[in-house]
Amino acid sequence: MTDTPLITAQNLSVHYPLRGGLIGPKPYVGAVENVTIEIAAGSFFGLVGESGSGKTTLGRAMLRAAPITKGDVVFDDGEVAYSLKNLGKKDLKDYRKRAQLIFQDPYAALSPRMTVRDIIAEPLEVMGLTSSRAQTDARVREIAGKCRLNVEHLRRFPHAFSGGQRQRISIARALVSGPKFIVADESVAALDVSIQADVLNLLKAIQQEMGLTFLFISHDLSVVAHVCDHVAVMYLGRLVETAPTRALFSAPRHPYTKALLSAIPSLDPDDRGRAQKLEGEIPSPTNPPPGCKFQTRCPQAIERCLVEEPVLEAAGPEHKVACHRWEELFAQA
Amino acid sequence: MAEKNIYDPSVDQLAKDAYFTASQGQLIWTRFKKQKAAMVGAWVLIFLILSGIFAPFLTPYDPTIAGRDKDYLNGAPTMPRFCDDNGCSLRPFIYAVERERSIQTNFRWVTTINTDERKYVQFFVQGSEYELFFMTFQTRLFGVDEGFIHLFGTDSTGKDIFSRTFHAINTSLAVGTIGVFIAFVLALVIGGISGFYGGWVDSFIQMVTDAVRTIPAIPLFMALAAFIPDTWSAEERFFFISIILGFIGWPTLARRVRTHLLTERNQEYVLAAQLCGASNGHVIGKHLLPSFTSYIIVDLVISFPYMVLSETALSFIGLGLKDPVNSLGVMLQNVTSADVLLNYQWYFIPVIFFIILVMAFVFVGDGLRDAADPYGDTKK
Amino acid sequence: MSRLIDVENLTLQFDTDEGRITAVDNVSFSLEAGEVMGLVGESGSGKSVTAKSLMKLNPGNAVYGPDTKITLHLEDGPVDVMALQNDREMKIVRGGSVSLIFQEPMASFAPAISIGDQMVEQLLIHTSFSKAQAKEVSVEMLDRVGISDPSTRFGQYAFELSGGMRQRAMIAMALSTKPKLLIADEPTTALDVTIQAQVIDLMKDLVAEFGMGIIFITHDLGVIAQTADKVAVMYLGRLVEQGSVRDVIRRPAHPYTRGLLAALPTLDDIDAPLTPIPGDIPSPLERPPGCVYHTRCEEVVGPVCSARVPALLQVAPDHTAACHIYDPAEAAE
Repeated sequence: MTDTPLITAQNLSVHYPLRGGLIGPKPYVGAVENVTIEIAAGSFFGLVGESGSGKTTLGRAMLRAAPITKGDVVFDDGEVAYSLKNLGKKDLKDYRKRAQLIFQDPYAALSPRMTVRDIIAEPLEVMGLTSSRAQTDARVREIAGKCRLNVEHLRRFPHAFSGGQRQRISIARALVSGPKFIVADESVAALDVSIQADVLNLLKAIQQEMGLTFLFISHDLSVVAHVCDHVAVMYLGRLVETAPTRALFSAPRHPYTKALLSAIPSLDPDDRGRAQKLEGEIPSPTNPPPGCKFQTRCPQAIERCLVEEPVLEAAGPEHKVACHRWEELFAQA
Repeated sequence: MAEKNIYDPSVDQLAKDAYFTASQGQLIWTRFKKQKAAMVGAWVLIFLILSGIFAPFLTPYDPTIAGRDKDYLNGAPTMPRFCDDNGCSLRPFIYAVERERSIQTNFRWVTTINTDERKYVQFFVQGSEYELFFMTFQTRLFGVDEGFIHLFGTDSTGKDIFSRTFHAINTSLAVGTIGVFIAFVLALVIGGISGFYGGWVDSFIQMVTDAVRTIPAIPLFMALAAFIPDTWSAEERFFFISIILGFIGWPTLARRVRTHLLTERNQEYVLAAQLCGASNGHVIGKHLLPSFTSYIIVDLVISFPYMVLSETALSFIGLGLKDPVNSLGVMLQNVTSADVLLNYQWYFIPVIFFIILVMAFVFVGDGLRDAADPYGDTKK
Repeated sequence: MSRLIDVENLTLQFDTDEGRITAVDNVSFSLEAGEVMGLVGESGSGKSVTAKSLMKLNPGNAVYGPDTKITLHLEDGPVDVMALQNDREMKIVRGGSVSLIFQEPMASFAPAISIGDQMVEQLLIHTSFSKAQAKEVSVEMLDRVGISDPSTRFGQYAFELSGGMRQRAMIAMALSTKPKLLIADEPTTALDVTIQAQVIDLMKDLVAEFGMGIIFITHDLGVIAQTADKVAVMYLGRLVEQGSVRDVIRRPAHPYTRGLLAALPTLDDIDAPLTPIPGDIPSPLERPPGCVYHTRCEEVVGPVCSARVPALLQVAPDHTAACHIYDPAEAAE
């Protein structure tokens, strides 16, 4: 791993305007608010959160597929350095070669009217990366082979394949342009458990082989624990905790992270009642509560949490928490 | 890896492979073929379209005044027969007709059938000249060496209804095609821009579309009919009517195009293409257009009968086509008198053909729509 | 505890364009009042179809096997569900004594009618309540499932509620007719994990209070471990293992169950590699002969696995598995 992070989100905010409000400030949804994360080259960075956390939006913003309202995203792979907020058209086209996305839904992400070969070849043709059909075919076959798709499969249409196979086609399409940075947005969520492990192993193998950097977005903490080396937890558009995987799972600092971890149903039938039940619902992003966003459900909220929003503080090597009380709670534990 | 195992011997390996490599279009065609009503409709449609195109060859006489039978006005259909009191023959024949008037008949023309004189029906006869595909021919499928044969009878000026029917089918289909084509082009462009860009462009265009849609067709035509100069030839009139129909018909199609685009635009595979840096043109051409080709074909096929019926209605009330260009509407202009309804029922034979034509379109359109459900067998 | 339902030899096939597809193959199980049975399986396992068969909710092209017998033991006496002919007779079963909860609560509430009106409608069909009584019962039910301010929520529409609340409202609606048997088809899959924990706890409380039997269908073994008393595992339409939750999860007998448990990422050991089950789930068009799992099984005994369908064989008291490993005749070899 090099010293310069491959991609950094700096105080990134993504706001979506809402209708109405002719007078006064325009209402908006703060999908992502003031998030700063650094992803080192070669890492498998996990981003977790529930609905409304903004994790998908953050991933898209880092690909310039969502508007950047405030802050910036900086990409530096040693060859080029881009500031995504002010990227010109030509640079944006180049960036698209270096950063790609794997979708969640294997059924909607592939055009039902194109053969697998054409689907995988499309980025090459659009970006003009190959100069002849033979070259395109060779590259397609090479990448397809890495994803365990053979020549027979290339002739077929998506409807011939299962969910796991389709996801591999999606992965092949993302890899074909030779990117350095891949955002995997809930890429295994729609797959059966026995297939999930297969696709995850494939992603890790590809990462090793091709030296890629992954941003792995998921709501499934167990999966993230196994494949990621660093994890960031989001709640209602804000970053609440970020730490190396082992540290996060063995000693979480933020009350939300603790609740998330304990809410995962344990495989031990005698371990019932352990789950720390969080009361209440996740607030709507259009109407966030004042102060700390988690205060409406936090069992450890105090007066200060209702008015003042906490900032990210260092809690250990590469470990940051956004909570007013993390130190005292950690000391108590 | 156990991916390609075929265990059940009864399932054909080739069939499965065919299913896996079938494109969307092929899948739709397979599903379409399974629907009997739609297939029958399709054959009938093909038959009618071909008979319309080859009408001059298939029918014995010119459908205009030039080909009329002066001696047989409002004549009943003369059906060929094989046998009569005088014996049978292999060749079908009809009876000769004579027209006379005299004091006995109060100086009215009376047509009598002479059952002793036979006129044999002959095939590939030399009839009057006609033009087909920019070439002139003279051979007609059948006819009689002397006199006339009227399978569907004649109208008040002696024009052969059989010939007129098939020419009318051709005319109506031609008007329908031009109308649908114009409506389609307009709908694609307008609906396409509306659906693809969304936002205020969409809102504005929708307002315009709704406004055009509310224009009542009949008063508009009456106004336009008043403005059509009498000096225009039948052909010019014909094109004018078709174009107007197209201009009236685009809002419905445009709305459908826009809806399809709005849905497809948000599909994930479109986003995937955009993330590769695909230009709008590429996205539209390679992803969006093919995605709703199947829907649009259904919409087109279903629009056809509406065009045909609109033109029929307009011509019927005298605002559309006029003689010598004939369509069903023109032919029906004369059926409103009690005389016709009571005595000359054969005037209505063409109506049966048009009902069949419209029904065929409807069945084919329905069949296509049922077959074209793209995610029918792909969602888990 | 009294027996609630007996399912014997349930076989279900669908007549499709591609031929006759077997969705459920000779499945038998029973349930007592107050018992929670987990029905576990991945896609294509036939678990949803099995549940729908209990209320004959499958589409028109469904063909039941001749030996299929489903007996519902109601207060008035046993009811043979297969013998029920028309909708009027089915009314006893559907919504009356048996209720069904779906995965996607947005899909089961009509969007243009308020939640309260739908609940009242259901009560009016199945009970002899007056409209006022029905409303009272409904509001009480909404309160019982933990929805705050139930009388206001009664008049709201489905889109006004969050995902978790909608699911609770659906549970309230399903339970308002006091059914003997509740079938829950993936009720928590679409929910965030913190909300999922709340809903699971709610269901367990309700079982204790109402003494109902629940058939809990899911692919999530963790949820099963936390809620179920006994487990049935399905694969490609066949029941491959059945037993108490402790037996099946701690001492899985069938190779598929073992494979599933091994493929699950758990928080206990985050360094362990992920072991998928090799291969893909065969499509229902290509059901393997003999044991349906043998194409992916790591513990194939011999040629018998591809030749003969294994019966459910005893592994331990009240614990059966359909595998030739447990066949004493095979073990002798």
